[in-house]
Amino acid sequence: MATAEGADMRRLGSGIVVVVAGGILGIIGLALTVRRGITEWPYAVTFGVLVAIGEMLQFRLDRTRNRAPIATSAALGYVLLRPPEVSISPDVAQVIAVTGLATLAGVLPRMVAGLRWDLVVSSRRMLSVAAAAAVFAAVTPSDLYWDTTWTSAISLTGAMLLAVLTAAAMDALVGAGQATEKFNQPFPAALRDETVVATRIGMAMAISGVLLAIGTSLLGLWGPPLVAIPLFLTQFAFRRFASAQRTYRTTVRSMARSTEIAGFSSPGQNARTAQLAVALGYDLGLTPARMEALEYAALLSGVGQLALADPSPGGASLLRTREERQRAAAIGASVIERSGVLDHVAEIVRHSNDPYRQGRANNSDIPIESGIVNVALAYEQLVGEGTGQSPDKAMESIGLGIGAEYDPVVVESLRRVIGRGFRF
Amino acid sequence: MNSRWPLRLTVAISTAVAALVLVVALFNTKLDAPTVALGLLLLVGVLLRSKVGPVKAVLDHVVCIALLLLSGPAATVVVAVLLPLTQDRRLPLMRRVFNGAQAVLCAAAAGFVFVRTGGVRGDAVLDAPGQATVSGFAAIVTWLSVNAALMCMVLWLDRGGTSPLTFLRKVAVPTVLPMTGYGLLGVLLAVVWIGGLGIVAMFLVVVPLVVARWVLSLYEAERNAQAATMRAFIQVIETKDLYTRGHSERVSAGVGMLGRHLQLNEDRQLALEHAGLLHDVGKVGVPTRIIQKPGRLDDTEMDAIRLHPARGVELIGNIPFLEEVKSAVLHHHEKYDGTGYPAGLAAENIPYFARIIGIVDAFDCLTSTRSYRPARGVEETLQILLQDRYTHFDPQLVDAFVEVIRQDGWRAAATDQPAPDGSVRATIDHDDLSLGTAGGASGSAAGPDA
Repeated sequence: MATAEGADMRRLGSGIVVVVAGGILGIIGLALTVRRGITEWPYAVTFGVLVAIGEMLQFRLDRTRNRAPIATSAALGYVLLRPPEVSISPDVAQVIAVTGLATLAGVLPRMVAGLRWDLVVSSRRMLSVAAAAAVFAAVTPSDLYWDTTWTSAISLTGAMLLAVLTAAAMDALVGAGQATEKFNQPFPAALRDETVVATRIGMAMAISGVLLAIGTSLLGLWGPPLVAIPLFLTQFAFRRFASAQRTYRTTVRSMARSTEIAGFSSPGQNARTAQLAVALGYDLGLTPARMEALEYAALLSGVGQLALADPSPGGASLLRTREERQRAAAIGASVIERSGVLDHVAEIVRHSNDPYRQGRANNSDIPIESGIVNVALAYEQLVGEGTGQSPDKAMESIGLGIGAEYDPVVVESLRRVIGRGFRF
Repeated sequence: MNSRWPLRLTVAISTAVAALVLVVALFNTKLDAPTVALGLLLLVGVLLRSKVGPVKAVLDHVVCIALLLLSGPAATVVVAVLLPLTQDRRLPLMRRVFNGAQAVLCAAAAGFVFVRTGGVRGDAVLDAPGQATVSGFAAIVTWLSVNAALMCMVLWLDRGGTSPLTFLRKVAVPTVLPMTGYGLLGVLLAVVWIGGLGIVAMFLVVVPLVVARWVLSLYEAERNAQAATMRAFIQVIETKDLYTRGHSERVSAGVGMLGRHLQLNEDRQLALEHAGLLHDVGKVGVPTRIIQKPGRLDDTEMDAIRLHPARGVELIGNIPFLEEVKSAVLHHHEKYDGTGYPAGLAAENIPYFARIIGIVDAFDCLTSTRSYRPARGVEETLQILLQDRYTHFDPQLVDAFVEVIRQDGWRAAATDQPAPDGSVRATIDHDDLSLGTAGGASGSAAGPDA
């Protein structure tokens, strides 16, 4: 988590571009709407309120960004409104203006209350909603509306799906670009991760938006509650899940800190190792599930030492014999395995102290994550607080072990990560 | 056997009434597209069944409400009779028959209320959207009320494991809001169907339900992972001492029993079990040579032991547990007379959870084998606890604990324990030491028979 936020601070680069683009779009939309006047204001207000509430209730599901699914669904729903109940569908400018104002109205209370808010994510929504509105306006003839015939219903639904698909694609592209910049992830890997997210949560938000639009087009203002109430219930369940997930993550972190309290490692050592391992994982384009296992493995790589009798001075496990380290890793792996839910993590830890030559070089079953943890542990030992070598010097001594001790692919990645200015 | 006849009679009467309703409904139903499609959807809904039960119920509910608006009450009753077919086949036949009758009666009552409140169906829904929504909502509420009433009646007559009150508290109240809310999707399904999409509406409206199910299963998985990981964590820490192995899990189970007896709410019950599991995590900060040192400890070594509650809080401080968990870990070695550590709190000043854990902690220690003494019997240990009321333990909680153990028994801790062995180099357990010199437990703290 600390990594992501540190990176947030340092590189807001593309974020600024997204926010500025969203802002300009919003201002143009607002100006046009003010000049032409707003149509069907009860609907504008209803959907605006939904967007604002959704924005207010945003939450953090994974470690990368906040989400406000209800806001997205409501904005998309507003885009897709058609007659008969809504006599004039909102034009693109009005959609942008309403979404923009509602977003600001939702973010302001969070800013005042000191809660976490993210203008970049909100601006991303502005961009994808604008794209959806443009596509929907382009493909729907003005005389096509909900007249309860099968043909117009099916063509309208097709147009809606096309529009939300555009929004999802737009969001995935922008998101992948941002992830590439923020975490130095290769672009194809970032796009793959974003697409996976888009097909799950994205699809749910899009279909909810479609349902919101159909319900409102047919029932008028009786429509929104029919969709919004179930949506709020689901979001409540999501928040509960997100908080359970946070508890779980901190439990694993606390478990990792037990080696520090027992004196087997120096304060912060596990966190630093995990931080570097995560940076290497991003650089090598691992999937989110593997990234999570990698982080836990790096954090927990030392727990096996708890079963050994005496702490080593300063927690420097480089000073021990290899046999001892491998034995500790094996004990740690069996302990982690006992939980029954972290098998992949156990596998990584088991081989985290195997030298490359006797491990991964000849056994492709050993995951690359083991090699990553191995290198991260070694680099942290050399540069971390206690010993404090310079990164160049540490890189040099790790380079001497390339191919024999350390996985060449991982060492290359380490060179790139350090070269980009990674520091603990 | 005799005592079950009111239950059987009730089931028979409800089934008979339901059958009558069903026959009337059958004569009034014509097999239109919504009836067939939604009936099939119900049967396919078996695939949606998972350990997180409520979602399956939600699907049934949504489908029936939609049918009410699409094809009317008669068709709804006919389709409702399909519900038990999708139920677990391992349920006893009587339960499944009653479930069928229950579904039919719920559907009939909901249909009745729907029509009485002026509910319209078919294309008329779009002309009077407010009327349709309000009547649909009334039907949802009726369905849930009748369902809960029938359940309560059967549970009351059954006099089995769950009382109607427990059912209302544990099942009905927590699910009434989600069930009502998701029920609105039934109205939406009907509207989208009538709006021209027909059967396609089904696929769109099922999406939010699938997402809800997905989220619930994610939550369950996360909770299980959390529990499993904490147990593994505790096992790491207990590797330091052969004889305390399993202690934390047994304490967790023991405080769980006491907590249920004290009728804690669900969140606090879980928190108490977590606190019981984690109460000794701080021992990881006590050097292994002290934990494994044979014989009595000197003062500095005792000080190191006394630090373990604070170490424990340091370790788990970041985990967003209830505050009570942390205070329980910190104060589980306080004594009722104020002579414990770390703060020397007395009586009611000791946090509630800490008082509970103190009792179970001592109980498990005394009923477990130590290298220097065999395990004590359960009854003998309960006598020791009773003697130490007021000096060590909260008297009311001790009484409650004694009652629970006498009633439910204690799964013998001694089954998979090593025998006492004079040759094993082990110190006197710190929980033994915490039982002072005045009470009946003093004998146990005398150390190895020298």
